[in-house]
Amino acid sequence: MRRREFLYTASAFAGASALGLPRVARAQAAQTAVEAAKQFAGTEISIVWEAGLQALDPLNFSGPLWQEATGIRVNVIEVPTAEMFTKILQEHRAGTGAYDALNVIPAWMPDLVRAGALEPLDEYVDKYGYRQELQTIAPVYRDNQMMFDGKIYSFPDDGDVFILYYRTDILGDPEIQAAFREQHGYDLPVPPTTWKEFDEVGAFISAYTGNKPYGAAFFRDPPYGQFMFQERFRNEGGRFFDPETMKATINSAAGVKVFNDWLAENEWMPPGVQTWGFVENLAAFLQGDTAMTISWPPYGRWAAGYGTDEEALSWVPRSQIAGKVGYAMPPGGHPQLAAGFALSLSASSRKKEAAYLFMQWLNSEEISLKRVQLPTALRDPFRDSHFVSEEYMSRWPEAPQYLAALHEGAVKGLLDLSIIQTDRYEEALRQGISRLWAGEDPQAILDDVAAQWDQITERIGVDQQRAAYEAWASNAAAYPS
Amino acid sequence: MTDRGAMRGFSDGRRTGAAGARATPFVDRNFKYLMIFPAVAVILFIGLFPVIHTLMISVQNLTMLDEDTSFHGLVHYGRLLSDGRFWEAIGHTLIFVVVALPTELVLGLALAYLFLDRLPGKQVFVALLVLPVVVSPVIAGATWRLLFDQRYGPINQVIGWFAGEDVTILWTVDPAFVYPAILIAEIWQWTPFMFLLLLAALSNVDQSQLEAAEIDGASFWRTFFKVVLPAIWPVMAIAVLIRALDLFRLFDVVWALTRGGPGTLTETFSIYAYVQGFQQFETSYTAAMSLVVIILLAITVTLVLRRMEIDR
Repeated sequence: MRRREFLYTASAFAGASALGLPRVARAQAAQTAVEAAKQFAGTEISIVWEAGLQALDPLNFSGPLWQEATGIRVNVIEVPTAEMFTKILQEHRAGTGAYDALNVIPAWMPDLVRAGALEPLDEYVDKYGYRQELQTIAPVYRDNQMMFDGKIYSFPDDGDVFILYYRTDILGDPEIQAAFREQHGYDLPVPPTTWKEFDEVGAFISAYTGNKPYGAAFFRDPPYGQFMFQERFRNEGGRFFDPETMKATINSAAGVKVFNDWLAENEWMPPGVQTWGFVENLAAFLQGDTAMTISWPPYGRWAAGYGTDEEALSWVPRSQIAGKVGYAMPPGGHPQLAAGFALSLSASSRKKEAAYLFMQWLNSEEISLKRVQLPTALRDPFRDSHFVSEEYMSRWPEAPQYLAALHEGAVKGLLDLSIIQTDRYEEALRQGISRLWAGEDPQAILDDVAAQWDQITERIGVDQQRAAYEAWASNAAAYPS
Repeated sequence: MTDRGAMRGFSDGRRTGAAGARATPFVDRNFKYLMIFPAVAVILFIGLFPVIHTLMISVQNLTMLDEDTSFHGLVHYGRLLSDGRFWEAIGHTLIFVVVALPTELVLGLALAYLFLDRLPGKQVFVALLVLPVVVSPVIAGATWRLLFDQRYGPINQVIGWFAGEDVTILWTVDPAFVYPAILIAEIWQWTPFMFLLLLAALSNVDQSQLEAAEIDGASFWRTFFKVVLPAIWPVMAIAVLIRALDLFRLFDVVWALTRGGPGTLTETFSIYAYVQGFQQFETSYTAAMSLVVIILLAITVTLVLRRMEIDR
């Protein structure tokens, strides 16, 4: 081969790699799954999925598409999030084989793997050539929500992350900015980057506008609030445990500060914010009643009016703030990667191969990009390619900024605490938050929560839990660096 | 007469017919027991098997991570004695029983009295009054949660109209209001049950006795305590017993409204058992807990039945 021919050939390959080949590879993972799955045509697989909007993906989109391509019917078993762990474990104990594929929250993985409920996926990944495409999942999800004890147990499938949403028209209002500067002696930060700034901006807006809108509102209902606590506690420098003794340190100054700050914020937030969950907070923000909030990614899409004409979203208030929303990291700069979903294979499934192939197909570059753009389905971008998708960026005018914020969140995000029997620790925290709203003293509550955590640790076994905690805390995304 | 004859004929046939020829003295002697044995066996299997199974589990050590079925003695029972949260949950449950039960009884009785006479549209009103009973408790709880909601609920709005200003009552959060909120929902739903049973009982009170009391000049309360109450007592006692047992396993409304919070302030025994058994998978501990409660309830019910003298 002459030198010039070689250069031409090399250039062609390079160009193809840059432009065409990744797409071929993407298509291959999905196509491989489809071709292999055809041998199971006529069968039915069952997949556990969060009830409600999430389930519209397999019910209306991916399920029918898969059946058309392979002849395999997908039976979607809708389960409320609060019951998913229980049902999965109960089914595993009973060994009925009723569930083939599962949606699991990554923080549950240590418990489910230890209980033997999840099937290792490595063998299937290699058999169906999926390992390379798994590498294009955003690192924070790929490195922390996929493997346990060196084996792959799930495919991260949902880039859940808390993002700060703020009203650009209000925070950017020159009159408000001038008044703020006059009162506080510094420029109103757009957006606030520390909790001190956030509280000053929020309180100021509530006062300046006469609560129309309120400066901010949050989830305060304990099941949601515990995620907010985990995030803010760590951004304030808190650590969950002393790694040497495994004594709980949630009652440290950082924890008490978070609780005290919450109580102070409630004074300028809407009345009754203590009871607010996902829907109340969403409605208030979309109706223009609050200027800032922190939540999961769907808020950003719906605030822009994306897909809210669909019947399934008829309960979502029509956005009054489309085009007026900015997206940023929450104060402290490290958002909570709250909950999220990953796809796993049930160890008691009798159709493991077919179920695995469905999971690979769902999770593939090609199909997942379509799924994260479903306005109703609540799956959020989790692959590098999702964040820079031209198609996604064209969905609404501010979509590029939205995707950029999600991407930043995926880089700086903090993992949910995930040790042995995490829910027992979280339950104590949830109860602590509800006691805070009932008027008890923050320090006393957190001392009690810490004592409960210590009891739980003792019961599980200090050494065993220490090993689990060390493994979790060794992740770069466990604590702000 | 005919029935007795038929029975005798059957009995004779059994003795003298072809089948009877094979009958042994044992069968002959225990025929009635053999006839009811299948039904008793089914009832025992359904009723007793779970209790025995629970007992077995309670002396093992089944948890989320451990399926240890070896004998662990009474370790879980010992743990139960020092579990403050368990006894608090029992206490919370008793509060609901002690407050809701008499309230439902009195309100149900009063309503039943009201509907005893002929009223225009009585049947329609009775049907409407009974509606809450047919609603699933968890749906009722969720509905009340919406009614009590600070932002969208009408209850605070109505109170605000009377107060002349916006009011912020956090019914499902504020310790001063969580019990009233749950009790309102519970009493709303189950008073009609009392009403229905007591209306039926009151309708069957011997009118001649009432008329005699009236002729003798007995007051309303004297008539009630001396004539009406003894007449409706058996039905009322059963209604109270059913509701007391229902209240002791109270779960749905509390779960929907407060999930046992704030903290564990409204956590009933059923909620605690659910959390331990199905969220934290402390299977053996929950079995011990359930058995203790079953025993406590069985003793209580027996004593109450004797006290009420309705087992005779």
